[in-house]
Amino acid sequence: MRVVSGGRRTDQIAKLGLLVVAMLLVAAVLDDAFAQFGGPRPGTSPVPVGGIVGWLFAMQAEFYRQFSGLIRASKADGSAAWTLMGLSFLYGIFHAAGPGHGKAVISSYLVANEETWVRGVVLSFLSALMQAFVAIAIVGVAAVLLHVSAAKMNSAVNWIETLSYVLIIVVGLRLLWVKGRAFVAALRDLGRPTAAVGAAVTPAHVAHEQHDDHDHHEHDHDHGHDHAHCDHALHDHAPAAQPATCSHGDHDHDHGHSYHDHDHDDASAWGHAHAPEPEELAGPGGWRRGLTAIVAVGLRPCSGAILVLVFALAQGLFWVGAASTFVMGLGTFITVAAIATLAVSARAWAQRIAGAKSSYGTLAMRGIEAGAAVVIIGFGALLLGGYIVNERMVGF
Amino acid sequence: MTKHFVRMIFALAGLLAAGASASAHPHVWVTMQGELVYAPDGSVTGVRYNWTFDDMFSAFAIQGLDPKKPGEFSRADLEPLAKENVSSLKEFDYFTFAKANGKKVEMKDPIDYYLDYNTKDTVLTLHFTLPLKTPVKAKELNVEIYDPEYFVDFSFKDVKEPISLVGAPAACKLMVARPKDLSVAPGQQLSEAFFNQLNASENWGAQFANKISVKCP
Repeated sequence: MRVVSGGRRTDQIAKLGLLVVAMLLVAAVLDDAFAQFGGPRPGTSPVPVGGIVGWLFAMQAEFYRQFSGLIRASKADGSAAWTLMGLSFLYGIFHAAGPGHGKAVISSYLVANEETWVRGVVLSFLSALMQAFVAIAIVGVAAVLLHVSAAKMNSAVNWIETLSYVLIIVVGLRLLWVKGRAFVAALRDLGRPTAAVGAAVTPAHVAHEQHDDHDHHEHDHDHGHDHAHCDHALHDHAPAAQPATCSHGDHDHDHGHSYHDHDHDDASAWGHAHAPEPEELAGPGGWRRGLTAIVAVGLRPCSGAILVLVFALAQGLFWVGAASTFVMGLGTFITVAAIATLAVSARAWAQRIAGAKSSYGTLAMRGIEAGAAVVIIGFGALLLGGYIVNERMVGF
Repeated sequence: MTKHFVRMIFALAGLLAAGASASAHPHVWVTMQGELVYAPDGSVTGVRYNWTFDDMFSAFAIQGLDPKKPGEFSRADLEPLAKENVSSLKEFDYFTFAKANGKKVEMKDPIDYYLDYNTKDTVLTLHFTLPLKTPVKAKELNVEIYDPEYFVDFSFKDVKEPISLVGAPAACKLMVARPKDLSVAPGQQLSEAFFNQLNASENWGAQFANKISVKCP
């Protein structure tokens, strides 16, 4: 959300960047569609698919094909191991652009959860790291320690895969619970008459929306709310005790707030409708929530990594496979982080546009967030039901 | 207007994600040879295959097996694995899509299957016969071998006749097409119509299909 930290020039660069990305997407989608529906063109290019997608595709296939030879060569020749690492890195970058690897889930999560760019990048990094770690752990435990057959390893991987899809649904459901309620609250607010007391709160509210893109946003925000809240409290309750409550921590604020909502009706609730959110999102709790998303996405290992690891093990070079897997994860991180950046920028942009239009804007943002949560649930459900083909797991 | 733009980006990103799911790259390579088997009455009864896997997948498949002699895998050692292979291949229709006189041909469960292991190249070869549910006399038989998801890459072995006919009527003409270079195996030119007809119902992996066509006038 705060990827664009104020400056007008960065805004423009971000817009330009989005435009370029959008155009690339259009090109890629069209290209992919043509490649798929056009069928092969007899006797033409050696690579049957053209354009960006075809190129990505050809590159990763090319790199992957060289892995077995390089692993073999690593036994005698140390420089082959370095070449393998270089190719693994590039492979990770290209490969993550393909299916799986949690791009869609992470992006939707970032949109739904109002995450910052930094957190988006960290989430991408940790999920890619976890994916590499899981692959090494599976092969390490199943093949090296337990010496089980490929079939048993496959069924373990299938269980992990299913668990990962279920977790994705859980993450989505939890987000929908929070965001859906916020959306309903915003919707309800639209219907409310802007009474005198409500109007008094409005300026602070609007100011908050406009300041959304700045780094000091939370600071401003808290102030706005504390003040509004205090005004009410002072008005309706024992004057002496309240100011102290107002100027202190989150907990007190929350408490006062819900109590407040309860006792007074319409007008006062208006200004506070979206208040629970910053509290829910900021702070250590947010990271704990993020962890679930990391696990959900990172749990499913990459088939390519598993094959590389088992092959390296068969060559007596498990460590080479493990190193290659981590380097692949690094490449994956770069691609996922790029897409996460896109998602966070798109959200920041929508927020800025929506912010200027006060309550309708809030409604739109809550709608986008709830929608993104639904997308996550949809993804999880489709993956679980086998309607979206993720990269197939190895073996038949 | 900008809101529409943002929405459009999301929609496109979604489309791309969906499109990309079709463009996986192969993780397993199979080099194959085969025979089309005919009954004395001239009907096709089945396909006999030899599929040789790449060394990486072979290493994966034999992982955890304990052969009697270390490093060497006998047919008996590999028997359980062969059984598992053919039974899981069913889910993928054995990657074999056949049409006789324009009609889809159904296959039965494989018979005469076994694996052997080449110690020198460290690769596994799966041998199996895929019988037709009902043998058919076909004026025109088209068989395509490919993985629609392109997780497995199939290619005919680089020999003069990767596919041969066994017991076919003398008048039958065999044509074989490799996926990428689309070159023709037994010195024959394939017509445009051959491709057009085969490409009627296409998906990603079908671009990499290996094609066999037999015409028996």
